[in-house]
Amino acid sequence: MDKREEERLTRLPKVGWKGYAALIFAILFFAGIFASIQQAEWLRAFDFSTLIGKFGNMASEKATFVGMGGVSARGGFLFALSLVPSVMLAVGAVEVLSHFGALTAAQKLMTPLLRPIMDVPGFVGLTLITDMQSTDAGAALTKELYDEKLIDKREQTIIAAWQYSGAGMINNYFAIVGALFSYALVPIVIPLLIIFVLKFFGAVVCRIVLDTVYKGDFAHDDK
Amino acid sequence: MTTNEPDLTIKKEELKEALAPSGNVFDIFVRGARKGWNIGVNNLIPNILMAYVIAYILNILGVMDFIGHWCGPLMALLGLPGEALIVLLTVWLSCSAGVGVAAAFFTQGVLEPVHITILMPAFILMGSQLQYMGRLLGTADVPKKYWPLLMVISIVNAVIGMILMRVVLLFF
Repeated sequence: MDKREEERLTRLPKVGWKGYAALIFAILFFAGIFASIQQAEWLRAFDFSTLIGKFGNMASEKATFVGMGGVSARGGFLFALSLVPSVMLAVGAVEVLSHFGALTAAQKLMTPLLRPIMDVPGFVGLTLITDMQSTDAGAALTKELYDEKLIDKREQTIIAAWQYSGAGMINNYFAIVGALFSYALVPIVIPLLIIFVLKFFGAVVCRIVLDTVYKGDFAHDDK
Repeated sequence: MTTNEPDLTIKKEELKEALAPSGNVFDIFVRGARKGWNIGVNNLIPNILMAYVIAYILNILGVMDFIGHWCGPLMALLGLPGEALIVLLTVWLSCSAGVGVAAAFFTQGVLEPVHITILMPAFILMGSQLQYMGRLLGTADVPKKYWPLLMVISIVNAVIGMILMRVVLLFF
């Protein structure tokens, strides 16, 4: 593989202060912290759950346009329609925050942790971050790294373990689970953090199982 | 979310675009909101409509009461009613359908906000595993021998995630 190709697959992105600022803002925006500071109510202008807004009430003061007591196809349709704005706002916000480099900043921060935690090379960070956005692109990158002999079968399987549990987590969380955000009793960033941490936990479990139960499989696998 | 065979070749520009979209901020927001609209129309509404109909059928047939009764003790370990098992099984097949079922159950009064909150990590950690077998494990060329391991890990992750949510809820 030529040098340029290798550099393309492994290079760490440049992250300016804007990237880290965007990452911090992203966390605060979705964390709901801005909604609860009573001395500074204006901060609510930067809070996701505030910005979803609300529908007007029907004359009964209790029902929205969805009405009350709807069932089956018709009930489901109107209910689903009422969920669309929060998905649009969430995906739009994620797009803007990615623009300012929030994801590349996250990639840079996690790179030094990859070898000690998962026993995979630091450059895998790009593959992992890509998986958080797109299941298909993340999977394709993993295969590419293996085909280019930058990782071996064992590392490939550990990476796949990280990717498989909660693939496409950012997009799926905000776009699909986003429909239920208004019922969440905790800031919506907390489940996302739990998901993120457990992806690493799963990879560590995979690493341990591969190094014990399947130890023989990799004895002659040279990098 | 489409089941069509995806184009898996990554061009450098596409990767850059996915990680840091270019253009002015308003255009970028609108592009994202449009993606959200497409997801809403093509994914959310059909899935929730289907889930509502299925939930209604299950209700009419009395299946809900049956599952709620017999799976109650198992799901109680996670702080969930028995019917939540239907949500989890659906989530494993398809994340969107599972979220739809959860929404339908919520409207029926089967699930409460506290249950939805506990379920949130599971929607992602064990979501759409069936289709991701092909789209992720197949595409990444992971040896089939390890697929069951990765699947078990995902489900264990989901269970731990739900337990952690119960713990987190103690503080809210």
